[in-house]
Amino acid sequence: MKTDRLFCDLPASALQSFEAIKYATAYPKGAVLFVEGQAPRGIFVLCKGRVKLSICSTDGKTLILKIAESGEVLGLSATISGKPYELTAETVDPCQINFVKREDFLRFLREHSEACLRVAEQLSEKYNTACREIRSLGLSHSAAEKLARLLLDWSARNGEANKQEPRVKLALTHEEIAQMIGTSRETVTRLFAELKKRQIVQAKGSTLVIRNKAALKSLATV
Amino acid sequence: MPAEKCHAFPAIYAGFVTGVTVTGDSYHCGSSLTLINQNVMESATQPSCYYCEFRPDRLFCDMPVDALQLLDTVKSLAIHPKGSVLFAEGRPARGIFVLCDGRAKLSICSETGKRLMLRIAGPGEVLGLGAAMSGTPYEISAELLDTSQVMFIRRKDLLKFLRDHSDLCIRVVQMLSQDLHAAYERVRSIGLARTRRPRAAQAD
Repeated sequence: MKTDRLFCDLPASALQSFEAIKYATAYPKGAVLFVEGQAPRGIFVLCKGRVKLSICSTDGKTLILKIAESGEVLGLSATISGKPYELTAETVDPCQINFVKREDFLRFLREHSEACLRVAEQLSEKYNTACREIRSLGLSHSAAEKLARLLLDWSARNGEANKQEPRVKLALTHEEIAQMIGTSRETVTRLFAELKKRQIVQAKGSTLVIRNKAALKSLATV
Repeated sequence: MPAEKCHAFPAIYAGFVTGVTVTGDSYHCGSSLTLINQNVMESATQPSCYYCEFRPDRLFCDMPVDALQLLDTVKSLAIHPKGSVLFAEGRPARGIFVLCDGRAKLSICSETGKRLMLRIAGPGEVLGLGAAMSGTPYEISAELLDTSQVMFIRRKDLLKFLRDHSDLCIRVVQMLSQDLHAAYERVRSIGLARTRRPRAAQAD
């Protein structure tokens, strides 16, 4: 279970002290782990389940940054820097989560340099996704372009990238997809209808089959 | 080409360091003398960070003396002309760049060549840190706005350096957190602005 995960795969001594400071908790679906603007209490290591990470504007508009999967550490940068949480985290499924208090975590990092390097890696990865988000939000013209890129991203993450007709499981509603690419629910529904009409994608229940990958790619790089 | 300049220094240094480890019994050896001469020359072009007047004010540079000595052996200093590109988006991460003085423009580029400016980095900032830590390609491009002195540390040396000095590692983690905060701020300003017009206004 712990091998392929960036943060859990620590040397035995570090793991032991991590065991001592963590609180294992189960959260139901739809629970809010932390809200943006709150003072950081600590980190949340996602062991099982998925968590929606979003940011909110003052007028209530929501932008979903990412759906975090198991193995990820949430609230990391806020906990380290002591600034308020910059995101809101809400569980999508029932989740198994390890919580570590801020002061415990900082002491743990000071004592275990290996863990510290892992944290740096995690932060870099997050920075990478944030930069990609900036690129896609700031430099794409149309919602169609962003939707095409999102679908290609998802198919790549499921290991279906090299297949002729990759499959994507749509775990989000149109509303949530709209919040991921910064557009309205209506636009997403219209775009999906258009893609289906042009035979680029085909819906099979909640699974989407990409029939024409080349066309989708050209949409993504307008 | 400044990139080649950066590579040349550590090579000379590696030669020097191995030279010192054997000088104990090769006192009469002619080659070790030339190596020592090289050292004198090197210290002329590569001043130790210990004497830097800005060091106490800079998060990365303000480190204990033993770490500084190690840093002096792995760093390479070079003056880069204004407008030179320190690293370009998508290129494999060779290492980190510390701006000793001057400013650098950080930007992000789309496949079609459109460019979005992220921010201007100032003196003392560490660039390319995220990519160097994770070993992924640089996620942004950095271009110098002034003629600047830049310290380069290779990825391999940096990782070893951090493993040996855990207090520095925490500092690196703090810097990464700050970068991430800035990036999220930017996502918010771009992604949640109502129209394209305010986005343009916030870009500066």
